[in-house]
Amino acid sequence: MLSVLMLRIMKLRNEWMLFLMMIAMTLVFSTVFGFTLSQGHSPKILIVDKDKTEYSQILIDELSKDEIFEYEFANYEDAVKMVDENKALSAVIIEDDFSEKIKNGKKTTLNILKVKENRELMIFENLLSKTTAKIAGNINIAEIITNYITENGSEDKIEIFNKAYTRMSKGLKYRRPLMIEKEIFNSSNNRYDNYKHLVIGLMLFFSMYTMVFGIGEILNERKYNTWQRQLVSPLSKFSILLGNMVYTLIIGMVQISILILFSKYIFRVEWGSSIGGILLVAFGFTFSVTSLGLLLSGIVKTHGQLSAITPVVLTSTSMLGGCMWPLEIVNSKILLALANITPQKWAIEGMERIAMYGQGFESVLFPTLVLFMMGIIFLGVGTKLVKFE
Amino acid sequence: MTLLEIRNLKKYFKNVKAVDDISFRVNKGEIFGLLGPNGAGKSTTISMISTLIKPTSGEILYKGESIVKKPSIIQKKLGVVPQDIALYPDLTGYNNLKFWGHSYGLRGKLLNKRIDEVSEIIGLKDKLKKKVNEYSGGMKRRLNIGAALLHKPELLIMDEPTVGIDPQSRNHILDTVLKLNKQGMTIIYTSHYMEEVEYVCSRISIMDNGKIIAMGTKDELIDIIKGQKKISLKFDEFSEDVVEKIKGIESVKDAYILDDEIIISTENGETIFKDIITEVSTTNSSITSIDIQKPNLETVFLHLTGKSLRD
Repeated sequence: MLSVLMLRIMKLRNEWMLFLMMIAMTLVFSTVFGFTLSQGHSPKILIVDKDKTEYSQILIDELSKDEIFEYEFANYEDAVKMVDENKALSAVIIEDDFSEKIKNGKKTTLNILKVKENRELMIFENLLSKTTAKIAGNINIAEIITNYITENGSEDKIEIFNKAYTRMSKGLKYRRPLMIEKEIFNSSNNRYDNYKHLVIGLMLFFSMYTMVFGIGEILNERKYNTWQRQLVSPLSKFSILLGNMVYTLIIGMVQISILILFSKYIFRVEWGSSIGGILLVAFGFTFSVTSLGLLLSGIVKTHGQLSAITPVVLTSTSMLGGCMWPLEIVNSKILLALANITPQKWAIEGMERIAMYGQGFESVLFPTLVLFMMGIIFLGVGTKLVKFE
Repeated sequence: MTLLEIRNLKKYFKNVKAVDDISFRVNKGEIFGLLGPNGAGKSTTISMISTLIKPTSGEILYKGESIVKKPSIIQKKLGVVPQDIALYPDLTGYNNLKFWGHSYGLRGKLLNKRIDEVSEIIGLKDKLKKKVNEYSGGMKRRLNIGAALLHKPELLIMDEPTVGIDPQSRNHILDTVLKLNKQGMTIIYTSHYMEEVEYVCSRISIMDNGKIIAMGTKDELIDIIKGQKKISLKFDEFSEDVVEKIKGIESVKDAYILDDEIIISTENGETIFKDIITEVSTTNSSITSIDIQKPNLETVFLHLTGKSLRD
């Protein structure tokens, strides 16, 4: 193993420019996105409340709980003007029959004013859809309770309904995971942060190339006939693979660590209180992607073929796994289920738990375990597919 | 003393019999040649001896122990010079030797000493700081050999080590082979160049279509065609029917075109000239020279297979 490790280090002396370019590219992309999505900026959503009842207020209160967007009341004319002039991302029109429809269980439509589709708007639409569904659910349950109580003697149906709804809302609030409550008290940064998400996503996305091509070097060994020469030497197959794996793991970890340090000290990205947790997830991710690289190297025959399929595999799984946008904007259950089989999803989840939501080391144990399990499966299949001749 | 023994070795790739039931022994201290045209099965045999591929059946014994069952027996004792250059083009000659030496367990001062000695043997001492992709074909071939010598192997396998190089480098390699053998190294040398095998090998095995068709010393092999002569005719130009006309002569066993010559096999050396000249004169061909050649391995191969080594 030491021989292979020594070989790879000797080769790195010739390839260090490429290695630095991959790091630089990630930093450039992070900077570009950083300027466009500057940290702390909350897109403005206008609310045109024509209903002005306690139900429309419930909706506004529920929306405001999520701190991604800044909400402001406006009349319809101002809302149209501001959205048109790009002074607001969007406007939600709560029609005057909102409360009636929602109380009677009728289909409620919320109109949204928008100039163009973008990622933030997709996040907002998803949030609005979830919030209205939640309110409608609460109302339904409150309705059932009210009917039950009034059928058993009480006459004041409206009062009972209102009390039941309030209890439902409170009940749901208390049943929320404890971590969210903790998050509120911890700091002002413990909310979704687009820039941070992109830094993490792009860092993982670009580092994957280094890892896949790092282990894919075994295909170049075959091209230069050195693979066969290694196989007839006293180096065992296990030590040849292990040497290449260890080298790629080290290179992957070094790259991610440099990117974390750069983003922390140059772009002022806060990585949370558990850097050990971040590095643990990074290690799990590096292991699973290196093993994925071995699997891909086992499927293809040449380094050229690996170069052709790698961007396809890495880009599609990165999109699926949420490197380019948050999975919160994805509604498709199939896509969300597929995201679970990408290492990117678990790495982002683990890192964001610490860097974005202020959780501790223990919060990354499960995502890291999943990453290691994936790595073991990829490694097992990859080892079978690699041709040792 | 037998160093390596091959018993009924077979290697089939689907329906192709690459190596078909061959047996031979390599004695300690000899240069054993495997001669045969491309595709004869030499490289497949070498790949099995060097433990790169497993035989379909048969046994390979190194000092009496099966290396099919336990490849590690031979790996530390074996040096392999592959047919294709197996070096890292982006690394210097020195770093290439350093890695291959390291992979055979050499470390520190011993490794540096051996790199020094080997670079002297292969004549690249002052070229080691250059990257391999800046080397000429001959220099790469020599470094390719050097990488197999670092750990002082007991058995050195050289698979077509002179393919595609200039005569100067070729001579250097052949002399190196003889020098290493004098120092006690056992060598298996494969080639489709008859002259090389004749020059360096003490015993030769001729392979064709996966089988060994003859084996022995050079003299023993030539004895197979005792009495046969090879005549080469050179022409200014010759018509297509001249070969057929020559084949029609009673004492001619075979005739074929090789480059710009016509080669004739016969048991009737000098007396056949008259018949040849008579037949050639009936065509639109004019002979510029006639040469009677001594029998060699090429003639032996032709006699045994009916085709040229270069076919």
